[in-house]
Amino acid sequence: MTVPILMQLLVTTLTMFSPQEPDIVIRPPITGVTRLAVADFQPKAAASAEADSALKVFNEVVWKDLDFSAFFEMKSKSFYPVKPIRVPTDVTFDEWQTSTVNADFLVFGNLQLSGGGAVVEAYLYDVKTKQQVLGKRFTAASTTLIRNVAHSFADEIVFQLSAATSRGIARTQIAFSSQKGDSKEVYIVDYDGANPRTVTANGGLNKFPEWSPDNTRLAFVTKLPNSSRWEIWIQELAGGRTVLPTPSSYASSPAVSPDGQRAVFSSRSQDATDSDVYVASLSGGGMRNLTNHRGIDTSPCWSPTGQQIAFISDRSGGPQVWVMDADGSNVRRLVSEGGHCDSPEWSPDGRLVAYSWQAPTQWKHDVYVVEVATGKIFQLTVGGASNESPHWSPDGRHIVFQSTRSGSKQIFIMNADGKNVRQITAYGINESPAWSGYSKRDQ
Amino acid sequence: MKRILTAVMVLSLFSALFVLSGCKKKTTAPVARPTPAPTTAAPAPTTAPAPTVEVQASPSTVERGQQATLTWKTQNATSVVIDGGVGNVAENGSVVITPRESSTFTAIAKGPGGEGRSSTRVTVVAPREVPQVTSTDIDGLRQAIQDGRVKDVFFDYDKSDLSAESRATLEQNARWFRQFPGASVVVEGHCDERGTEEYNLALGDRRAQATREYLVQLGVTADQLEPISLGEERPFSPGSDESSYSQNRRAHFALK
Repeated sequence: MTVPILMQLLVTTLTMFSPQEPDIVIRPPITGVTRLAVADFQPKAAASAEADSALKVFNEVVWKDLDFSAFFEMKSKSFYPVKPIRVPTDVTFDEWQTSTVNADFLVFGNLQLSGGGAVVEAYLYDVKTKQQVLGKRFTAASTTLIRNVAHSFADEIVFQLSAATSRGIARTQIAFSSQKGDSKEVYIVDYDGANPRTVTANGGLNKFPEWSPDNTRLAFVTKLPNSSRWEIWIQELAGGRTVLPTPSSYASSPAVSPDGQRAVFSSRSQDATDSDVYVASLSGGGMRNLTNHRGIDTSPCWSPTGQQIAFISDRSGGPQVWVMDADGSNVRRLVSEGGHCDSPEWSPDGRLVAYSWQAPTQWKHDVYVVEVATGKIFQLTVGGASNESPHWSPDGRHIVFQSTRSGSKQIFIMNADGKNVRQITAYGINESPAWSGYSKRDQ
Repeated sequence: MKRILTAVMVLSLFSALFVLSGCKKKTTAPVARPTPAPTTAAPAPTTAPAPTVEVQASPSTVERGQQATLTWKTQNATSVVIDGGVGNVAENGSVVITPRESSTFTAIAKGPGGEGRSSTRVTVVAPREVPQVTSTDIDGLRQAIQDGRVKDVFFDYDKSDLSAESRATLEQNARWFRQFPGASVVVEGHCDERGTEEYNLALGDRRAQATREYLVQLGVTADQLEPISLGEERPFSPGSDESSYSQNRRAHFALK
């Protein structure tokens, strides 16, 4: 799928790619897939309409979470043994090793309504050794929380079967900016698009949200109605906010440092002709211009160690990806392909930077990654639509981005190798997504 | 204005010198004149009429830094001095003054018949505040923006340079803004939709700032102009073609 696009780009920019397959390895790896069977969970006692509807949600969510996790080859339910499985004694392991099912691991369990909520007993078994890998009882205080139980269980399976290399992403969230009439408000959804809720409702333009590393705050830029000033807000999700003092009416693209103490952002000093990258403490103290260079410097992001900052600068012509140390020294260019780059975002393992790129002869953007150590580039999105604003999942195996592929700008998630694209918003205009980190209690 | 004032003063000085030199002749003339034949009567007392002088200031009250004109007329005078820093002057004339503080100007006219005096006072008051611009006045500017007499300026793709046409437009706009010093003008920078949101917010700011800087060079007060980028948030034309894009790359002016 990517080959025609790669060839096309080779024609337009000869220096861009070497003709051989890109030797940069993007996770998730194509090989070494674990084959997983996920049997529908069953009512523990007598079936009821309410239990059935809770089970329907649970089964659907667990399946989608595990499917999207990109760790497993999901074995189709149509080949499963007919006999329902509620508890481990119901399993005939040989039936799950036939050539049609051929599963390495089996997921099953039961659900029982209890008070206003539900109790779920969930199991993960190794089909070959017939050993239990996971057995857990979850209690949901309300049946409306059944999705969360499914997410928690899916994350535990990923954690176990990834040999603890990932904690899963099923309980993560995505913040984005959503157009409402003339305004843009910040929203949060679960990573799968469920459970949308609003963070701002001020009627202004609220853009470019980014999470604090502990997930308790969102940093974004706001222009209130009738104001002629952009402000940087550090919004507590529990309520309350700090407005960072900025030197002029222009402010943009805030990002909180990995230690949660500082923010980088773009602003302009009163007399400058254009923007620079600034750093300040989250209370606004110690503000410093890091770039102090003629030309637009914007869209800063931190490396996972907090020791480097990637940003966009048009000092050499069009906007390109540059990198500097966190004190503003050691400035160097990371991408030199011409065209327009924007929205760099460092991968959680520090190895890659994702960004959007518009080729010199095109008006559409696509999502790319560059390997920081080598400068090697790999294209992740293809097609006629514009794909922008990439942002890594906390396990580094997925990327959320905005795309016009379904018409207006919407939010999509995909594997970090560009496969397995899934749309998570469908209505209105939605942009600038940011994937949450792991919350404190999960760490 | 200063140059005119200097010219007037110089002219006054010249005429004063001319008059003074003239006076000298006149004063020496009687000496050269043959003594009148003595009469039987005792020598008559000097019958030369006493000099008269009248000086006026217009206006009599000025703001500090403003000018007033002193005008005087004399009769029977051979020399005229106005104190208060003006000095010797012609028998009749006027001088433009810029008094720093309230002053009394006394003209002293001397002649064979004696001396005459006249005084006038110029009161100097503090300059008034910049006149408050009334809502009607701002409406005048608002109307001009609505009518398109205050024009928007347009930019090339990914550029914030002002073309010759844009500069000419801003020179016209600057006259409007200077005329309404009490009106806060928001200078909005706009972009077409083709760039990314983050870059366009920065580019819109650069366009607004470039526009503002040129207006300040043209004498508009910097504080009167508030630059704000709207990036690609508020397109003027909804289409996705060059004719729409060129409409959307602009600096637009609005009243706060």
